[in-house]
Amino acid sequence: MVGGTGGARVETGTGTSPARTATTRTSTTATSTGTTAGSTRRQVTRRLLASAAVAVMAPLVGASRPARPVAGTWDGPGDTAFEEIYRGRLIRVTWTHRSGGAGPGEWHVTVDDRPLHLMRRADGTWLSVVDHYQSYRTPLEAARGAVDELGPGQRLRDLAPGPVGDELRRLHMGGAHSGVHA
Amino acid sequence: MAYTRKDVGKLTREERRRFVNALLTIKRRGEYDDFVRTHIRYFTADGENGLRPAHMAPSFLPWHRKFLLELERALRRVDSSVTVPYWDWTSDRTARSAPWSEDLLGGTGRRSDQQVTTGPFAYAHGNWTLKEGVTDGAFLTRDLGRSHDPIQLPTKSELEWALTDPVYDVAPWDSTVTKGFRNKLEGWGTGRGSASWLNHNRVHRWIGGVMLGAASVNDPVFWLHHAFIDLQWTRWQRRHRGARYLPATPPGPGNAQHGRILARHQKLPPWDVTPDELEDMSRIYRYA
Ligand SMILES: [Cu+2]
Repeated sequence: MVGGTGGARVETGTGTSPARTATTRTSTTATSTGTTAGSTRRQVTRRLLASAAVAVMAPLVGASRPARPVAGTWDGPGDTAFEEIYRGRLIRVTWTHRSGGAGPGEWHVTVDDRPLHLMRRADGTWLSVVDHYQSYRTPLEAARGAVDELGPGQRLRDLAPGPVGDELRRLHMGGAHSGVHA
Repeated sequence: MAYTRKDVGKLTREERRRFVNALLTIKRRGEYDDFVRTHIRYFTADGENGLRPAHMAPSFLPWHRKFLLELERALRRVDSSVTVPYWDWTSDRTARSAPWSEDLLGGTGRRSDQQVTTGPFAYAHGNWTLKEGVTDGAFLTRDLGRSHDPIQLPTKSELEWALTDPVYDVAPWDSTVTKGFRNKLEGWGTGRGSASWLNHNRVHRWIGGVMLGAASVNDPVFWLHHAFIDLQWTRWQRRHRGARYLPATPPGPGNAQHGRILARHQKLPPWDVTPDELEDMSRIYRYA
């Protein structure tokens, strides 16, 4: 459980990673979750360990770079992040704690800096807006699944004002869908 | 006088031409993109808060039935001879089968970017530019059979497994139920990977491209697929005489599904119609 909040229920599975090889998967030795870095990095490490996600992520962290601070996206004290290059796309997963008792927090996932809307299934798995008919164990796996299905050269739509932007933004931020509640 | 929805493989050349023409006409007028938006708007997952009208809920079938009726009505305003054909994916199982012909839906996408380049909905013709999508891509995409990791369409026996269940749906009325006709047909399985995509969901996967995402309606095969799903509801009713849509009444205030699913006599947003009113379509259309 992330931070004990009942957040992302990342199950410790058999650690099977998507069979697809990440094009940038060059190192198999790095364990980005287990080495030292700045405080933010350690925080990430802690949270990933706490979430029991390591068993899932470890086989893939060779493809990941250590999470590093990204200006403006996760400066809050309770925020965490993880990022990796997967098949040439930058996936960034951030967990934002809410302040003021508005719920525990939410995940935000971007692919190449564009938001990927995620939805939660009742069994604790995750769906993305790119891939609505299959669920994944973690937000990161859902993001990888989305990358797998994004055609070459396709980018997630920037949620600019406009009909679709409005619909997706409403899903992404508004109403009952305020981000992805954990 | 009820009209007839036909097997896509049995349409005449003229029927195919008229169906395509009606679709292109409502697309040109901007009506089609309203359907794409509606489907995006009403997809609520069951791990989220809020009402689930369209998926992961008992109203999966009546919601899509009404959605199809609305599309069909728009098409029939253009050409009153048109009805939505159904695609029997238990029989027409390959990327060369009936729906994918040059004069109907066109074929799979090209390898480089999954772009559909054949048939009337090919981007180059200028008549099918995607406006409402989850990506920036303005062209229709498909990857029939999922070329990078092939899967098969659901079989007759997989469909039969859903049809033999005598109960429409069971509590907690969501994507986790392992009993009940509705979810066996909708296809939320347990576990991971290929074995967990059943019937309806598996077909979306087999087609790939835009059919996988929130904006799946952008691929006109959406309607042919859902017409076949709709036909299964009719077949199931015929087989289990007297079996009805469930739940008959809404879950009470103490129930976790309270306010999140629709019972037999509750209206299906955004429309003014209930599952009860949609159970018998025999006066409106029939399947041939
Ligand atoms: Cu569908």
